[in-house]
Amino acid sequence: MADIEDTNPADAALRAEVRAWLKANWAGDLPSDQDKWSLSAATRAWIADVFEAGWAVPTWPMEWFGRGLTQEQADIIDDEFARLGAPGARQDRSNLAANTMLAFGEDALKREMIPGLLKREIVQCLLYSEPAAGSDLAGVRTRAERDGDHYIINGQKVWTSGAAHAHYGMLLARTDWDVPKHRGLTFFFFPMKQPGVEVRPLRQITNESHFNEVFITGARVPAANIMGGLNNGWRVLQTALAYERSTMGARPRGARHSATSDDLLALARRYGGLTNPALRQDLAGVLALRKLNALNNARAKANLEQGTSSSVMSLGKLAMSRILHEEARVRTAIVGTESLLDGPDHPFADDTNFLAFNAYFTSIGGGTDQIQRNIISERVLGLPKDIEVDRDVPFRQVRSG
Amino acid sequence: MPTTSAEERAAICDAVRDLMRDASSEAAVRSTMDTTSGYDPALWTRLAEIGVVGLLVDPEYGGTGLGPVELELVMEETGAALLCSPLLSSGILSASLLAASEDKDAQARLLPGIVAGTTIATVAITGDAGSWTPEGVAVDVEATDDGTLLNGVSSYVTHGRVADILLVVAKTGTGFAIFEVAGDASGLTRTTLSSVDKTLRLARLEFANTPARQIGRTGWPAVQDALDLALVALAGEQAGGARRVFDMTVDYVKTRMQFGRPIGSFQAIKHMAADLMIEVESSLSAARHAAEQLAEKTGAAGESVSLAAFACAEAYSKVTAASVQMHGGIAFTWEHPAHLYLRRARAYAQLLGSPAHYRERYLTQLGA
Repeated sequence: MADIEDTNPADAALRAEVRAWLKANWAGDLPSDQDKWSLSAATRAWIADVFEAGWAVPTWPMEWFGRGLTQEQADIIDDEFARLGAPGARQDRSNLAANTMLAFGEDALKREMIPGLLKREIVQCLLYSEPAAGSDLAGVRTRAERDGDHYIINGQKVWTSGAAHAHYGMLLARTDWDVPKHRGLTFFFFPMKQPGVEVRPLRQITNESHFNEVFITGARVPAANIMGGLNNGWRVLQTALAYERSTMGARPRGARHSATSDDLLALARRYGGLTNPALRQDLAGVLALRKLNALNNARAKANLEQGTSSSVMSLGKLAMSRILHEEARVRTAIVGTESLLDGPDHPFADDTNFLAFNAYFTSIGGGTDQIQRNIISERVLGLPKDIEVDRDVPFRQVRSG
Repeated sequence: MPTTSAEERAAICDAVRDLMRDASSEAAVRSTMDTTSGYDPALWTRLAEIGVVGLLVDPEYGGTGLGPVELELVMEETGAALLCSPLLSSGILSASLLAASEDKDAQARLLPGIVAGTTIATVAITGDAGSWTPEGVAVDVEATDDGTLLNGVSSYVTHGRVADILLVVAKTGTGFAIFEVAGDASGLTRTTLSSVDKTLRLARLEFANTPARQIGRTGWPAVQDALDLALVALAGEQAGGARRVFDMTVDYVKTRMQFGRPIGSFQAIKHMAADLMIEVESSLSAARHAAEQLAEKTGAAGESVSLAAFACAEAYSKVTAASVQMHGGIAFTWEHPAHLYLRRARAYAQLLGSPAHYRERYLTQLGA
């Protein structure tokens, strides 16, 4: 394990501390949790230990469960956990709800919710999209109406993963109908386990069901659970979306049947494709896309700052979408005629077909490729916004349907 | 690891960028590309004085003694400015081939002049096949009572017409070796080739019992070492050029008005721009990564060079082609600079081997 040498004594001490802690605590015997929405008790107990030891959010301030470390120092923690395959560390980079809560929650709400979120005792889901508000997310029509120290929620959400397990939903709802669409939205930390919340699974293009529709009828949320202030929901959403998109720049779920399906060279070898010069050109191209994306991410990592909407993150998701669709195309060429078939008797064909369908998860979910390109052009490159006919119109008067 | 700090590298880039702005403007490039020699002697001297020409050369021979990382960054600047010069031929290919030859005598004899810019050298590798592989070499060596004689053809030789010294890769019967030939040697016919990239100078060389002098160790690996370094330099120029063209294009679509608004507000333009940004960022990553791997002499250096070679070539071609389209009619004119970059991109994509060649090499290096 002497392969890494930290030149700085503080870094070396931190690495030694993490290693010692992992040596004393990590048994490497956690079950492999297939369903990230309902973790096993053993996994949750481990993640709670990681939180108590201070490894969950090392770059956060001391007063908010962190250690006030720099990104570079925190990477040491990442290295050591990754080396053993131990989960739960560095949620300051990945935990969408906790990061959004830290940035926008009231202190009392943060104190109440953040430990549970980081220990994964509180499961949360995203209540953003609606049947009539997909790419035009600011057009949500779920209404939140004040009732004493609560709000009453009515509406319908869609594309919600984990809704059946979730204790809370990050809810985008309309609180003012008399201002233009972006200005009348509020972000709530909404309790899911209550009457008036109905979850219905959706059957997806892949023939799986990971997403749900959520019907909300007269359900309640405390006004204290508003994040980022009344009618400031659009801004909160941008931060939350940036985290979501950053995770979508990483590879999604791998092959269902065989790891060979994800190893393009092994797959090509198995199907005799390595002697086909045209296929070899394609293979080099796809492997290059993967490698270039990794290099871009490594170069961009330094620019990534906590709590800010990052353009580089958006670039990563668009790049990943292209990689996955390209991979599906090349894998189909490798597998050939067998890609007519699916099911467990044809694992490589099934994995290939699955990717061809599931690639749309990345190219549509979390903002379509087309929306991502608009965002990159406008926010990063500074191109002028397109004409928005509903921009300065009170939302009540905006055409829908 | 590079021997320079990040601050030092930034200072080097600033110096080169300033020089490019002063002496390699679009007007300067256009005027230089119409000359016979294809370079501006005053700018060439300046490049030698600030240490760019001798960047890779050991200080023992008057060089700057830097490595691939610094080279790549400098080339981003020269590529962005479409610098017309024998830098690739003399300072990079020739100097690194001499270094790889491990021939101390030849180094002491030739490198000081190359570093000072007073000697222009170039490297001749491929014949008419234009393959930059052992199979492409089309010059044979003969040892006679009158000395070593070369016969055959080298083509696509950068600055082959103006070079004082030619380093020729030739077949010895058992393998390959490098031979020094004077530009005015007997039995040497040099023909200028008309290059699609007017900033480039290419020549075809015919050897008919041309006297030559063998340099250093024999074998293809020395040639490949020099080529890999040149490919990283080329990747840097491609990445820097792609970024410059992209920036020009983004600026243009912000100000070009049609239908009463900037064309950059149309999604048709925005989506092209976003896709090109990935290309630009990826080519910068590829070029810099290859330079780092080469500097650290890692086991992955070869494949990272192959990746940079085809990724940067393809990205530069895509970005320059789309740039013409996004500019519209104005870029269909000779007066507009877009075609200068498109020509450069098309030329560089073949100059030391095609993208298809390096895709194949990449896959082979990955073990397939």
